[in-house]
Amino acid sequence: MKPDPGHVLERMMQSLVTEIAPAVQPAYRQATVTIHAMMLAAIREEMDRAVARRVEENRALRALFAEAAPRVRDAELRERLAGTAADTDVSLRVPDLDAANLALRALLIELHAHVEALAGEDARRLEAAIWRELAASTERRKLSIAPL
Amino acid sequence: MRTSVASFARLRLLRAAAWHVAGAACQNDPVSDLERRLAAYLAGRLPGASRVEVSGLERIPGGASRETSRFVLRFERDGEPVERRLILRRDPPGSLIETDRRVEFAAYRAFHGTPVPVPEALWLEEDPAPLDHPFFIMEELTGLESSFQALLTPAFLPKRARIGQRKWTILGEIAKADPEKLGLVGLMPPAALDACWQRELAYWEHVLDQDELEPQPITRAVIRWLRRNPPPPAQKLSVVHADYRTGNFLFDADGEIRAILDWEMAHLGDPLEDLAWGINAVWQWSREGLAGSLLPKAEAIRIWEAASGLVAEPRALLWWELFSCVKGQGIWVSGGHEYQNGANHDPVLGMSCWMMGNAQDRAALGLLGHLP
Repeated sequence: MKPDPGHVLERMMQSLVTEIAPAVQPAYRQATVTIHAMMLAAIREEMDRAVARRVEENRALRALFAEAAPRVRDAELRERLAGTAADTDVSLRVPDLDAANLALRALLIELHAHVEALAGEDARRLEAAIWRELAASTERRKLSIAPL
Repeated sequence: MRTSVASFARLRLLRAAAWHVAGAACQNDPVSDLERRLAAYLAGRLPGASRVEVSGLERIPGGASRETSRFVLRFERDGEPVERRLILRRDPPGSLIETDRRVEFAAYRAFHGTPVPVPEALWLEEDPAPLDHPFFIMEELTGLESSFQALLTPAFLPKRARIGQRKWTILGEIAKADPEKLGLVGLMPPAALDACWQRELAYWEHVLDQDELEPQPITRAVIRWLRRNPPPPAQKLSVVHADYRTGNFLFDADGEIRAILDWEMAHLGDPLEDLAWGINAVWQWSREGLAGSLLPKAEAIRIWEAASGLVAEPRALLWWELFSCVKGQGIWVSGGHEYQNGANHDPVLGMSCWMMGNAQDRAALGLLGHLP
């Protein structure tokens, strides 16, 4: 798709901020235009990484579940973890990757709560691995305009 | 005052529906007609006044739960012209959150004339007849700044320490104030000193349960941590502003804070809740590690302790800082939910959900020592 969509979004954002917003009144509407420009900047950033970060995260979560399953004492949860760990992303469309990601993150919450209740160094290592993945997941979603 | 957890979901739905109508109503309100009706209302509230006129009614950003507009009121009294610049805070139609409105108005009234600077709240009208929806009116303080962006300009960079000193001193004054003497106990439900944390955590967990658009594994882990590690009882029951942060106060060119705004979430609770919210890392817009982009965190805490006469015991403060991350995520998620379901088209809700939601997770990771 040419002109490059990222370039188009950049131009739209610049136009909104430098040409359109200053001409809009009252202040409430002007602020709304500026925020729409910020949203375009965020969409541009996300568009570039949308597939990559979802594929990376889904793989990471399945690998984590594969590692965790043998250590889980709840048989039903263990079975679901093992089954999910064997899945793969067949479609690379963002909505499909997203649907898989939501299910994986919901299962991660269950796993995390279960592991927290387990005693022993093995459980603590697994818990640390979960936190590492959560930190990585936050980095994957970070927007450059965010305050932190 | 917030609603009980039990009725929260119902009220949220009503509010969402109300906002949908409010958007259309706002667009369809001829400003001149609203000005005329506002003037008629005020004429009945100004004994001895004649030639009451309202002009310049203009919606302004801020105070997301209500339409906020500024206007100019002119009238004559004893033959002398009087002019006042005022703020109109009008509810969305059909709203049942009148308790929030009453609390906000009462908080402004209670703190007016105290060491906690607030605009003068003038009239509360709960009858929707005059302007279609309930509203209140307060004075407009002009020529002041509120945005964090302003703090990062050359004019204010040298004044940030002064503003920070005042910010946490005033918060200490809020913490020190006696809710009973302020007349707020009847409007704000009290909580036992050892139960403040449970009430707040249950409230915001319920918001997440209702509104999250996707699983929140970090926030859910924080909630479990908070329940495993309850804080000590509150040192006292204080008025909690509940959104005390850079952006919610007005400051002048000399770095003096002239007004604390946005009291709509105010309640009685543990004063550490406000301190923790104000120093939350998501308000570090300058990216210098300064609490509220103003002062080092340790200094902000020291100022608050000196002003309040209370102690920010590190373990208790950590609990409330982590709670702030849950509350923050609740706010971002809730706004994102309203934007996604079309109840409120204000893009700030969608943008905050993207940007601040991620920052909130990073803040929680940092507090728990999991940020790389």
